[in-house]
Amino acid sequence: MDAALNGLMALADPHLMVLIFAATLGGVLVGALPGLNATTGVALLLPFTITMDPVPAIAILTTIYCAATFAGAITAILINTPGTSASATTCLDGYPLAQRGEAGRALGMAAVSSTIGGIISVVCLMAAAPLMARAAYNFAPPEYFALTVFGLSMLATIGDGSPVKNILSGAFGVLLATVGIDLLTSIERFTFGMNELSEGIPFVPVMIGVFGISELLVQADNLHVERKQVIMKKIKLPSREDYKRVWKTILRSSGIGTFIGILPAEGATVASMIGYNEAKRWSKKPEEFGNGSLEGIAGSEAANNSATGGAMVPTLALGIPGSPTAAVILAGLMVHGLRPGPTMFTEQADFAFAIFWSMMFVNILFFFIGLWGAKIFARVTLIPIQILWPIVFIFSIVGAYALEQSMMDVWIAIGAGIVGFFMRRHGFSVVPMAIGLILGGMLETRLGQSMVMLDEKWWLMATRPLSLLFFVLTILALFGPMVWGRLFKQRSPLKSTGE
Amino acid sequence: MHAEEHSSSPPARRHISNVAVPLGIVAFCVWAFWLSTQFDRVPPILKRGMQPSDFPQLVIGLIILLAVWLMVRDKSEAPARLSKMAQMTMGLLIGFLLIAEVDLFLGLGLFSASLAALWGERRVWAIVLVGLISPIAVFFLFDGIFEVRFPRGLLTNFWYG
Repeated sequence: MDAALNGLMALADPHLMVLIFAATLGGVLVGALPGLNATTGVALLLPFTITMDPVPAIAILTTIYCAATFAGAITAILINTPGTSASATTCLDGYPLAQRGEAGRALGMAAVSSTIGGIISVVCLMAAAPLMARAAYNFAPPEYFALTVFGLSMLATIGDGSPVKNILSGAFGVLLATVGIDLLTSIERFTFGMNELSEGIPFVPVMIGVFGISELLVQADNLHVERKQVIMKKIKLPSREDYKRVWKTILRSSGIGTFIGILPAEGATVASMIGYNEAKRWSKKPEEFGNGSLEGIAGSEAANNSATGGAMVPTLALGIPGSPTAAVILAGLMVHGLRPGPTMFTEQADFAFAIFWSMMFVNILFFFIGLWGAKIFARVTLIPIQILWPIVFIFSIVGAYALEQSMMDVWIAIGAGIVGFFMRRHGFSVVPMAIGLILGGMLETRLGQSMVMLDEKWWLMATRPLSLLFFVLTILALFGPMVWGRLFKQRSPLKSTGE
Repeated sequence: MHAEEHSSSPPARRHISNVAVPLGIVAFCVWAFWLSTQFDRVPPILKRGMQPSDFPQLVIGLIILLAVWLMVRDKSEAPARLSKMAQMTMGLLIGFLLIAEVDLFLGLGLFSASLAALWGERRVWAIVLVGLISPIAVFFLFDGIFEVRFPRGLLTNFWYG
């Protein structure tokens, strides 16, 4: 309770409030610009926060995360281009409404649903994260190792790519994490005699490369895309009738989004898809979906915004990122010397609650900024990419350099960008690679500690109930969909033949 | 390990990239594995759980296993040919790295202006904005506010003296 109050008091700092306000504007801008999303925005802005104290630094990153996730809806509704992938389902109903001259109503519904979803998820975050941390407090290295393996196994289901490619990409990230001096033995690995690599491959330039520079190369193929904005009349908040129709959908999607967010690696995109599908399934007017249904917008937006709070639960309580953007925030925490995990709620509880309150605050703030500024932000989306991306590139390179003030980091960012671009071309998501790089060090350290603890008998890990539980969950995460798919495939013909 | 198997669409044709990419990954892994065999080893008395090469070799083994799986099972469509624009943008990136060795901000300015022009920007003010004003503004933002010391070069020497 004290920590919650102290955290709230930290927000009373006017300097911090101004920073959060500016970050909300920046986040809405990032989310509204096609090609940029919350993950890229957080990765690009991370170097700016290096010289700050941890509270404002991480508050800025989480603010951008929340605001950018909401702002994707602005472009989804007004120009039929989701600003972030989490808003893809918002296009389905938002744009038809905008074409009918009801863009303001659609934006109003998106803002209300996002705000309610976001607030619900932050309340869950405040309640669940300390509980999860308390449960994990007594974890020994074998439990942590098993938990990290489970977190990595969840990468299989990221995006719409092949699970094998996702796991391979994650394993590549873990391999990259082995570069540098081995912490257990102090022996150099894969450094090629370069001093700059002795501390390992730095997270930030890699994040900037795979999320920012690879996107620049992707954009080189999208120069022909024309964006036209739908004319928007006054922003109109949903009516009482509208609320009556959608309140159940907002609550349901908020629950779904928070739960999906808590699952390691699953983020707002998956949440919005499930939220949208469930909204349609439970709707009394499912035929309206795809033609301008307010329930569709509410289902998608409440889910994707509530996933932001959910994703921060495992990130802060266990050190396992709940979403791709949370992975970058996790990197930010590490860069600031903070150690996410159970001890955060005993040793740095004030800090954790300051972050929770700032997320709560930003969820209210972007409601007003999003509504009043929607017209301006929608116009910003029409900035030609010929101007936008060279400027993004300048920030990417200077950001990559600034952290360690090393040209090696610039090379790493460009290299990661080119590798990331080719990975994406061949269907390998770059998100698992980034998460693998972040978790790789922890995975190896925990395995090493477990081997020492269990006298090099690694199989004894399976005799510990919690480790066993996480290994079973890993197997379910990897093979469950395949088994389910086979069962489903076999039952369908039986049904069709009347058996 | 499942998407490839329960797809309901008709069996897709395999492309050369379905084999070439996993083969490339395996070749990379073989090289990485060889490198890992060159790591120093810890005497048994000082060993704490694992040798430094054990974990990388475990991961490399997993990657090889998955790449072989892909080689056999992957039927995803080959990507479209790399567009001229993407190739030239990549060429500009390489050019940037070379010029950045002379001066980081000279490289940034030239890259940004060239990229804008390459992508079809013809308005002079826009090219000046991205190629000159933006790098200068970013330089003073980071140098003045964030106290970042940039590497000395042809242009930055004018400021650093």
